This record gives sequence, structure tokens and C-alpha cells, in this order.
Amino acid sequence: MPGRIIEWIDQRFPLTSFVKHDLTGYPTPRNLSYWWNFGFLAGFVLVLQVATGIFLAMHYKADIAQSFDSIQHIMRDVNYGWLLRYMHATGASAFFFVIFVHMARTLYYGSYRAPRELMWWTGQGLLLLLMATAFMGYLLPWGQMSFWGATVITNLFRATPFIGDQVVIWLRGDYTVGDATLTRFFSLHYLFPFIIFAAVGIHLVALHTVKSSNPSGINLADKDNIPFHPYFTIKDLYGLGIFLIVYSVFVFFMPDSLIEPANNIPANPMQTPNHIVPEWYFLPFYAILRSVPNLVGGVLAMGLSVMIFAFMPFLDRSRIPGGAHFRPIFKIQFYLFLVDMFILGYVGYVPPTPQTIVIGQIATLCYFGSFFLIPFVSKAEERWLMQRGLPPEITALIEKEAHDKEARKKTPLRRKGDIA
Amino acid sequence: MRTLMNTLWKAVLLGCFSLPVWANEAVLEKVAIETDVKSIERGAEALMGACHSCHSMKYLHYRDLVSYGMDKQKVETWRGDQPLDGAILAQMGESDAMASFGKVPPDLSLMAKARDGGANYLYSYLLGYYLKADGMAGNHLYPETKMPDVLNVSGTTDAAQHAEIAGQARDIVSFLAWVSDPHEAERIRLGYYVIAYLLVLTTLLYLLKNQIWSRLK
Amino acid sequence: MSNETVIEAVDDGNRRNFLIKLTSVVGGAGVAATCVPFVASMNPSTDVLAKAETEVDLTGITPGGIRTVAWQGKPVFILHRTAEQIDSVKTVGNALDPEPDEKRVQHPEWLVVIGVCTHMGCVPNKEGLGWICHCHGSQYDDSGRVTRGPAPKNLEVPPYYFAADNKIIIGKTA
Repeated sequence: MPGRIIEWIDQRFPLTSFVKHDLTGYPTPRNLSYWWNFGFLAGFVLVLQVATGIFLAMHYKADIAQSFDSIQHIMRDVNYGWLLRYMHATGASAFFFVIFVHMARTLYYGSYRAPRELMWWTGQGLLLLLMATAFMGYLLPWGQMSFWGATVITNLFRATPFIGDQVVIWLRGDYTVGDATLTRFFSLHYLFPFIIFAAVGIHLVALHTVKSSNPSGINLADKDNIPFHPYFTIKDLYGLGIFLIVYSVFVFFMPDSLIEPANNIPANPMQTPNHIVPEWYFLPFYAILRSVPNLVGGVLAMGLSVMIFAFMPFLDRSRIPGGAHFRPIFKIQFYLFLVDMFILGYVGYVPPTPQTIVIGQIATLCYFGSFFLIPFVSKAEERWLMQRGLPPEITALIEKEAHDKEARKKTPLRRKGDIA
Repeated sequence: MRTLMNTLWKAVLLGCFSLPVWANEAVLEKVAIETDVKSIERGAEALMGACHSCHSMKYLHYRDLVSYGMDKQKVETWRGDQPLDGAILAQMGESDAMASFGKVPPDLSLMAKARDGGANYLYSYLLGYYLKADGMAGNHLYPETKMPDVLNVSGTTDAAQHAEIAGQARDIVSFLAWVSDPHEAERIRLGYYVIAYLLVLTTLLYLLKNQIWSRLK
Repeated sequence: MSNETVIEAVDDGNRRNFLIKLTSVVGGAGVAATCVPFVASMNPSTDVLAKAETEVDLTGITPGGIRTVAWQGKPVFILHRTAEQIDSVKTVGNALDPEPDEKRVQHPEWLVVIGVCTHMGCVPNKEGLGWICHCHGSQYDDSGRVTRGPAPKNLEVPPYYFAADNKIIIGKTA
């Protein structure tokens, strides 16, 4: 009977073929390491955040007179409200952690290179959507840090040329961050995750067109692909188990470690806390913002620091395939970049002193420097490696890719069934 | 090269996790707060005597104290003419407080979370009063405070007396810790079960993963 | 294929099946348990449940007098019945929903009923002996029993108990 129903559906909708082609039977390189689990984990955390968020929204009140109180109501009176709240707050940090590892994997293994540029750019878009969602969500508890963090960041839009002040007022709906701001942030915070869902869909369509890269960096032969189910379904579930253990340790045993103490104080527009600090996942970018003493310069630097990732497919000019696997200089650059991120995070966290400001400025220069140097270093490295001698598969692959590029230039793109 | 990278990683992670320690300046006296109902009730009693005249705990209701397990008679005496269903408000009105102190004493519902150092901070603060040169009481941790030395720390020289006051402070802070997070005990209990379950499930998933992958040559 | 390999294959299949089944059951239990806090969070919170009981002081309601109080968001009629009113309800009542008056009260002078018409939910008005619901014409006697439709049932008696002679707690029986 279930077979007959599925047959009926299949005549009207590509259910079975879709499941076979894109889910269970989807060809995946057999040598994917655990670094490839993080895309799935990101999707899982998205679902977790939406689920906890929807149930929290049943009790939350987006009104400056009631929001802080409604969250106390959730924490104290609502059945398991404390659990929903802690899951949602921890989930936000978990989301960024997973995404940062996911991005690091992509950078290290060169998965942003042709033909995966669109994957990288849709990912970039997803990162921006996530940052906006998190920023707006952080205002909702209406604590001291919520209010002042939102005040500082919305103030940055004053950097917009000519209409800066009006933009800030338009964004806030008021001269200061107030009730209008809170209500609209709640509305958009609820909306954006669904835009993220759609963008994830596009991200996955792109993935299924170009297929996953793999740790060796070389496109494997078809025989080295294995069906996604059951191999990677079980591997993803196992990775999920590990993730949930770490996540649960935070939720159940140290949930307040991620909540700034100042956010337990209701917002007071008349008094700024001694130390305004964004959530940890914004710290490096915040440090870059503060490194430039000029408002517009700081905003541009911060914006560029997020957007510059998008240029990676163009900056990296090496023809050595894959990422750090065959490229020792790229590998060192990558690790140095990570260290720089941590330094920037530290600078963003501590109250600024003359020493930390200088460290921050040097770290900012290193940050942008590593990107600007890539075009030159990658080419120099390629020449050095070719001289040193590469494994024959790599040289063969480089020659083949160059050949394919020439061939693509000659024949126009036409698909079976095209009318024009 | 590998081991160097590994050690570097570990050093960085260690650095990150010790950040909260570095970021704090004051050295606080550590307090071992109590988490059982009786001790918390004792803390409530001490707080109602020493603090309730000026401080509210508006996110807590008197009935919450009863449902937690405190003695109903005691709660009745604490609430005075405030309703049982109502929030725990300060005995002193806001305008009187403004007149006496220049500001309204802060609500204590979340005080154990709202300060860096949490319970340790509150404990050190309560015991941090000392007698200044002009005979007035000052506080080491928060010199600008308008709050008087309610436990009379600055007036004691006797070690036994100080120990008794320290005990009172510990009770009060234990109660305040419970007030700021009434579900902590339940959360931790549930946490043990969840982690245990996840360890079992993850082990099963690991075994299943190995079994499925062994099908590949 | 030799016997041994056949058995091995079957055993391996069984072991594989068992592990899949066990993991699925354990995992499924976890998923089910995870749903509990979400569903439970939709239940009334503790502050709402606290309002589940209402205390009413009966002093001041003269014989023949009626007071309406709110309980769980609904009106509750508290009627201090005179001897005449008690007499008028001694019979079992109209056939619509027969119920002896003694079953509907704890003390005969005090009638406590939820003031919501059992037809479509309007609040009936006190008129002489009993109530009339002006929405569709249902009538109730001084025991809250329906004497004329379209209401099908008598006015509901909420759980309540006498905490003292002049005080009732609506919301639970003693």
C-alpha cells in the first residue's frame, strides 16, 4: 500500500528520483573527514534556534516596558522556560562556532576555488544574514548590554555619506534605540531565519551541482564516491552526538558563562555600563572597528573585514588544487590568520589601553595584509612548488584544468532540451 | 610540525578560557554557597531582616517561597500586608528611599548574576565594610555605595563575632543565588541525565558508524 | 558458499539489524523526550496556575443577594438564598437535566455556580427566581438548573470548599 501511494506521487512529483539522486544516493567522496560534518551541524542548529525561538516567542513581549520582565517570566514561571531560554542563548553561540569551523574548513581545503565560488558567496550571504539575526536578537532581552550594544552599532550607520544621521533615525524608528527599535528588531529577528532557510536551500543546490570537495583537494574518480546514505547519514549523526554533548554541558552546567552580567540589569538609557562588549563571535570585527580612530574609516574597515572573504576565489591565484594539503606556505598563512583572529578577539574583549590599542592595530594590519598578500604569495608558492616537483596526479590535474578552461572558452554553454 | 601546531592550538584555547579570569581586577573572597532548602530558608530569614526594608525582589512572589518549601508561617510574617500572590517589594517606599539615600536601592532578584564574580562578589561586598577615618563606614569593593553597613561588619573586632556575621552573609548570598536562578538544582539534575543519555546514544552511533563503514573495502 | 560463511553473513546481518534497531529506539526516545519541554511550555505557567484559586469573603452578601466574582477568567454567581428560594427548588426540576438541589450545594443557603450559559456561553441575568439568558432565551432556576432551553445542561458547579463559615475558596474541593 505505501508502495502504491509512492507510485501515485512519483507520476506527479519527482519524489523518489529526488530522494535517490540528491539525498540517499547522492555521491560523496569517501575520504571526507570530520571537518565536513559542520555544514550539517549548522543546519541542525538553525532548526534548533527556530524551534526554541518560536516557543519563546509565545511568551516574550516586545515592548520596552515588558520585555525584560517577560524574560524573567519565561525563566521563572513558564514550564521549562529556563531551558528554552538557555538553549536559545547557547544555540546562538553554537551557531557561530559551527559556522566559523565550517568557514575555516573551506579556507584550509580551498573549497572556495573554482567551480565552487557560488557556494562560497552564498555562504558569505548566509554569514551576513546570521550576523544580522544575532545582532537583532541580542536587543530583545532589553538588558544594559543589549541596549548599549544596539546603540553603538546603530550609531555606526552615521558613516553613510550625506544621509548618515537620517539613516540612523530611520533604522531605529526613533532618535534613540527605543520601543520602535525593539518591536521592529523582533519582527525582523523572527523573519530572517526563514530567509536563511531559503538561502541554505540555494547553498545546497549549488553544492549538488559542483559536489563536495575533499581533504586531498583533488577531484576523485567516480569510483571513489560513495552514497550519502548510509555512510554520511550515520557519520553526521555521530558528529551530532558529540556536538550535543558539548552543547548540553553549556546549557545545563554553565549557561550563564555566555551571558554578560550587565545584561541582567534592565536597560538604562541614562547610564552606560563601564565596559560595552559584544558577544564573543563579534569580538574580532569589533576590535578592527576600534582600531581605526576615524568613524567612517572604522566602519569601512569592519565592513571590509567581513566582506573580504568573498574575494578569496580571486585572490588565490595558485593553480595547485585543493588547499593547504599541498601548499606549505598557504598552510602557515592559514594558521597565522587564525592566531590573528584570536588576538583580535582578545583586543575586542578587554577595555582598551594604549598597549591593547597598538596590538589591535598591528593585528588589523596583519588581518588585511594576509588577504592582500595572497595573490603574490600564492603565485610565488606555485612557482616554488612546481620547481620542487609535484606528485604526478597534481601536475596532470593542473594541465587538465588549464585544458578544460580553454575548451570552455571555445564552446558556448548549451544544454539538452534548450530551445534557443 | 604537527606537535608544534597541536601545542599552539592548546595554548590558544587555554588562553581563551582563562580570559574571564584575566579580565577581572579585584581579588574576591570565595564563598561556598549552600543549595539545600533549609539553608536557603535561613538565608531568606536573614535577608528579610537585614535587607528587605530597603530592597525589593520583584521577580519573586511570596507564594514562590512557599511552593519552594519554606515555612508558610515565616512567609506570612515576612510579607506583612503585601499580598501572598504579590511580588516581594521593599518595605520602604521609593520616594522615601530617594529622600534617604538619593537613589532607589536596586532590586535584588538578579543581583547574584548582575555583578562580575556573582556570589563571591556579593559576599565580599557585604563583608567589605570598614571604619573610615571620619568614623563613617566605607566599602572596599564599592566605595561610592550609599548602602549602610547592615551587618555591622565595620563595628566588629571580635573574631567570633566576625565569623557569625560571615555566616549570616553566606546565608544571605546563598538565598540571593537561589533567587537569581531558582531552577538551578533542577537544571543540573536534568543535565546529568541528558549527558548520560547522550554518552550512551553517541557510543551507539559510533559503533553503528564503524559497522556501516566496515562494509567498504 | 560453505555453511560457515552463510552463518557468518546471517549473524552479521542480525548484529547489524540489532544495532540499527537499538540505536533507532534510543535515538527515538531522545527525540520524544526533547519534545516534552516544548509542549509543556505551552501549559499554563506557575503564575497563571496561582490564579486557579479565588478566595471569596461571603460577609456582606445579604440573604437574597448575589455576588459575581471572577474565577479562571469566568464569572461565578454566589447566591445567598432565602428560605423561599430554597423551597422553590426542592423538586427535582424540569426534565431537561434533572438533578436534586442537595447535590448542587454544600450549604443550602449558598449557591455557587459558574455564570456561563451551557448553550453558547453568554452570561445569564438574574431575574426574580432564577436566571434568564438573553442570548437565546434559556432559563435557570435558583439552583442553577435549566428550566427552559435551548441550553441542554444545568449551570456548572465549580469545585469549592468552605475555608470558614464566611469564606469559600473556589478552585478546589477541600
